[in-house]
Amino acid sequence: MHEDRRDKNLRRRLTSWVDGEREPKDQTLFVMEQRPPRRARQTEEEFERKDRDRLQKFFNWYPAAAAVICLVMVAVLLIAVMNMPGFGQADNPINNEVSDRYLKHGREETGSENAVTAMIVGYRGFDTFGESCVMFLAVAAVMILLAREEHRPADADTEEPEEERADLILEQAARPLIPFMLLIAAYMLLHSETTPGGGFSGGTLLGAGLILTSAAFGAESAQRLLSRRQYSAVRTFGLLAYGLLYGAYIFIGANGLQNHLTRLFLLLDLAVGLVVACTIYGFYALFSRGRI
Amino acid sequence: MIVLEYILLAGVIGCAIAAPLCRRLLASVIVYITMALLMAVLWALLQSPDLAITEAAVGAGVTGILFLLTLKRIHALRDRSDA
Amino acid sequence: MLEDILQNRYAVTAVILFGVGFANLMLQQNLLRKVLGFNIMDAAIFLLLASLGYIDGGVAPIVGDRGFDPLYINPIPSGLALTGIVVSVAITAFALALIQRIYRRYGTIELRELLELAKKEDD
Repeated sequence: MHEDRRDKNLRRRLTSWVDGEREPKDQTLFVMEQRPPRRARQTEEEFERKDRDRLQKFFNWYPAAAAVICLVMVAVLLIAVMNMPGFGQADNPINNEVSDRYLKHGREETGSENAVTAMIVGYRGFDTFGESCVMFLAVAAVMILLAREEHRPADADTEEPEEERADLILEQAARPLIPFMLLIAAYMLLHSETTPGGGFSGGTLLGAGLILTSAAFGAESAQRLLSRRQYSAVRTFGLLAYGLLYGAYIFIGANGLQNHLTRLFLLLDLAVGLVVACTIYGFYALFSRGRI
Repeated sequence: MIVLEYILLAGVIGCAIAAPLCRRLLASVIVYITMALLMAVLWALLQSPDLAITEAAVGAGVTGILFLLTLKRIHALRDRSDA
Repeated sequence: MLEDILQNRYAVTAVILFGVGFANLMLQQNLLRKVLGFNIMDAAIFLLLASLGYIDGGVAPIVGDRGFDPLYINPIPSGLALTGIVVSVAITAFALALIQRIYRRYGTIELRELLELAKKEDD
């Protein structure tokens, strides 16, 4: 008897649930009771019109708001600039003991006469390591976005870039230029302790030489110089070498041991140069033909 | 020397304002490259040769090349009007 | 006032460049020009950094065997800006790669058309 009633009750609830009716009052939960009655759905057109209105309003207001924000920001910055210490005075707060130490002791502590390079590769090498990682990842990201699959034939939306013929003028101009570019890049990389330039500038020039080779003599000659496999190897090797060497540099005591570290400094600089050169060339190759 | 500084600073500001206002994208990119080169000269005046070399190679050279390649990819080099 | 501006001419230039770049970043409808504005902002910050490190009469900080003791400029802002320049190229390349993908998908890089196309695709 009791069983039967419960059974019937359950069945009633089930049917009413299937039919989509609201549950009877005495069996609803407290939370369910507070549910607001459903409003009629807005029609598709109404929704679209409202959306367009909102977008239109946004586009009407956006330029004015952006201009106001820009002007306010420039005004605030100008006021700040007016209160800055004068340009080019030796007793400005920025010229404190840190730069003094870099200039006075940088030479014996890192073995580099160029204080900027000493700072980048020596004192703040960890920063540079992070930056090398950024470049490595940037090439990887661009590769994900732009690299074409080798096995898949060209689709309609990813048209194969036509292999344009190299310009005669470009070719003739590049022929004498490339050796000098590579030479000056090597000079900057190997001689960064005593002259301006260093890993970044030298690496960029090295990459620029590769770019010029690739642009003037076609992709094949550049690939002969640096194939895809070699490219990946060099890129990874540069980053790993920098990490390992800088770790060693820290652990054998960057502070204190004087001239033992000069060679290591050169190697660190070379590693940064390799990473930067590979990054620059990789960007060009991926942008122009979609593969290394 | 200070006159050269003023000329360069004015040139940098002028290029920066003009660069995105050009009607053709190609012109925009070229004016931007000009700005980067002027900036490199400014840095040489400020006694930072490392910065000047890097900016001339990277800011003017590589960034310009990347922009131009992108322009070619998005077919903005062919038509004469705004892309 | 004018004295101050002439005194801090590099910083004022940097602020103006920053404002120009920021306005372009916000107001331009073309994605490529947004990236250009972004690059101009970059340049402004590097200019400010490099001008902060300059000392009147200073020379480039290459500490050689110089007989006299010259005044060197501050190497720290130069180093920071050098790092920043190279990173800015990486960021520009990434942004441009994204723009190429957007063009390949939608066939335009104008922001409004993109919004409309994306909305149409949503429906």
